[in-house]
Amino acid sequence: MEKRRSSEREAFRLIEEVLQLMESRGLVELELEHQGIRLRLKKATSSPAPQLVEYVTGLPHAAAPAAAGGAKPAESTDRRIIIKSPMVGTFYRAPSPDAPAFAEAGQDIEPGQVVCIIEAMKLMNEIKSEVAGRVVEVLTENGEPVEFGQPLFAVEPR
Amino acid sequence: MFSKILIANRGEIAVRVIRACRDMGIRTVAIYSEPDRTSLHVRLADEAICVGGPKPEQSYLNIPAIISAAEITDVDAIHPGYGFLSENAHFAEICESCNVSFIGPTAKAIRLLGDKIAAKDVMRKAGIPIIPGSMTAIRDKEEALATARRVRYPVIIKAAAGGGGRGMRVCHNDVRLLSALMVCQTEAQASFNNSDVFVEKYIDEPRHIEFQILADKSGHMIHLGERDCSIQHRHQKLIEESPSPVVDSKLRRKMGELAVRAAKAADYTTVGTVEFLLDRDGNFYFIEMNTRIQVEHPVTELVTGIDLVKEQIRVAAGERLGMKQDDVTMSGHAIECRINAADPFNGFTPSPGRITFFHEPGGPGVRVDTHIYAGYDVPPFYDSLLAKLLVHGRTRHEAIRIMQRALDEFLIEPLRTTVPLHKQIFSDPIFWRGHFSTHYLDRILAERNDG
Repeated sequence: MEKRRSSEREAFRLIEEVLQLMESRGLVELELEHQGIRLRLKKATSSPAPQLVEYVTGLPHAAAPAAAGGAKPAESTDRRIIIKSPMVGTFYRAPSPDAPAFAEAGQDIEPGQVVCIIEAMKLMNEIKSEVAGRVVEVLTENGEPVEFGQPLFAVEPR
Repeated sequence: MFSKILIANRGEIAVRVIRACRDMGIRTVAIYSEPDRTSLHVRLADEAICVGGPKPEQSYLNIPAIISAAEITDVDAIHPGYGFLSENAHFAEICESCNVSFIGPTAKAIRLLGDKIAAKDVMRKAGIPIIPGSMTAIRDKEEALATARRVRYPVIIKAAAGGGGRGMRVCHNDVRLLSALMVCQTEAQASFNNSDVFVEKYIDEPRHIEFQILADKSGHMIHLGERDCSIQHRHQKLIEESPSPVVDSKLRRKMGELAVRAAKAADYTTVGTVEFLLDRDGNFYFIEMNTRIQVEHPVTELVTGIDLVKEQIRVAAGERLGMKQDDVTMSGHAIECRINAADPFNGFTPSPGRITFFHEPGGPGVRVDTHIYAGYDVPPFYDSLLAKLLVHGRTRHEAIRIMQRALDEFLIEPLRTTVPLHKQIFSDPIFWRGHFSTHYLDRILAERNDG
C-alpha cells in the first residue's frame, strides 16, 4: 500500500514538472513514459495552459523495464521513429564490454545495420534497423532488461 | 519454498495463481501480450513483462520469450496455469534445463498421459478399466472396421494427441466410420500435428466423472473426491459439481482408489485429474488424465476446504503432502457455472468487446473467480471464459437456489454471455433431479433452436 501512495505522489510531481517543461519550451503536445506511467498532454489552442487529456498509469509493479528519460515527442510535430525491442531479453549497446557501441546519438544508420544486441537464453541476437536515418536518442541503458515492444532508439528518418 | 514465480498464462487463472502466491508471500511476475496490457493479472502482479503480440504463438505460447522473461526477472519457478503451455512436455523440459522449476508433473508424465493411446495401455496394464477399442493407432480402413465390429457400434474416433473435446467423431455404421476416419486424421494432423487416431466403443448416455489427484514428490498420493462434469456442449464443459448426484460413498471409494492407482501408474506428481465415463449400469471406464490444474478446480476447493493452487505450489517446491486420504472430507455441495463471452442461443458466437457495466454477485455461499472489470476490453484472441461463478450450499438443492440467486445478480453489459443459458438449466426439473447424461445440454440447445 505504501508503495502505491509514494508512486502516486511521484506521478503528481512528474505531471507538474512536465507541465512546466511544456510552458517553458512552448510545446503544444507531449507524450511521456516513465516507470510504468504514460502521460499525454495536449495544449488547447485558445487557452494558455496545457490541459491533461489522458492519464494512464501502470499500477504499482517495480522493474517493468522503463524507458530511461524517454520523452517521445508526438508524431504530429516530429517525424521520429522509435526502434522497439522485438523480443524479451537484456539490451547491450556493444558486441563486448570494451568495444564501441553499435549506435550513438547523432550517428547515421542504414536499413540492415546492427544497432544493438539483445541477449535471450544465452543467445546474442543482433537487432537491425529497418530505417535509414540519424539516431536522435538512446532510450534504454546498457545492460537493462527489456520487454517486447520496449523503446530502444529514437531515429529521425531520412 | 519459491521466492518468485512467473505465471505463464493470462485471464482468471493468472489472477488465481497470483492470489495464492500473495497469500504465501511469494513474489509474482506476469507475462502479457500487447492487447493484455490492461488486463487484471498484469495489474496485480509485482512485476510484468510484455512478451509479444496478440496471437498466442507470439506471446503465451512463445517459449523463448517466456523463458527470457523468467531469466531477466530471476524467478525460481514458472506456473503454467491451464491450456497454453501447461501440458507441453517440451516446455517443462526447457524450464528444468534453465534451472527454473516447472510447477506441474515431470515431462515424462506429461508426454505419457498426453498420448491417449499410450495412456490407455498403461492403465490397462495397471488394472484400470478402459473403454474397449483399438489399443494402437489405426493403420487402415480394414483395422477401423474390424475394431468397430469387435466392440459394436456406436463407436467414436478420437485423436491420440487430442484433448479438450477436439478431434472426435461418433459413428453409427461402416459408411460413416470410413468417411469420418479420414476427416479425423486430417483434423488431428492440423490441430495436434499428429494424425494418429483410435477407435473406441461409444458409451451411451454416459456421465463424465473426474477425480482430483494431489501427489507430492515423495510418492504420497491422495484423491480429493469427484466432480461431475456431464453438462457439456460439444465436449466443452459448462457446469461442474461436487459431489456427483449419482456417486455414493461406496462408488466414490472404489473409483477414488482406481484414480490414485492410475496416477501412480503414470508416476504422477503435483495436481492432476483422472477422467472416467460412468454408464447407466454403474460401470466406469478411464478415458484420460489431465496433467494440469483445471478450470473447475474451485468446485473441489469449496467442498473439501483445501486450496489446490497453494498445495500445488507446495508440492512442486518439494514439500510433503500435509494430509492423508482419511483427512480428506467432503462437506456440502458445490456447483460452478462457466460464464463465457458467447451467445449460447446463436451457436456460441464469441462476443468480445468493452464491458461497460459489471456487477458481481456476492453474499453467502457465492465465489466468483474472474479477471474482468467495468471498462475492460475483452480481447478476441483468446478463449471466451469471462468468469467462473461458484456456489456452495449444505445440500444440492440449496446450492441450486443460491446459483439462481447469483445468476440473477450477475451483470456483464453489454456482452452476450452464457448467463441466460445457465438460468434456463437451473430452472429445469431434469437438472434439479440430477439425472442427466453428457447429451443433456446438446439436446436442450437443439430443442431451443428447433422451437
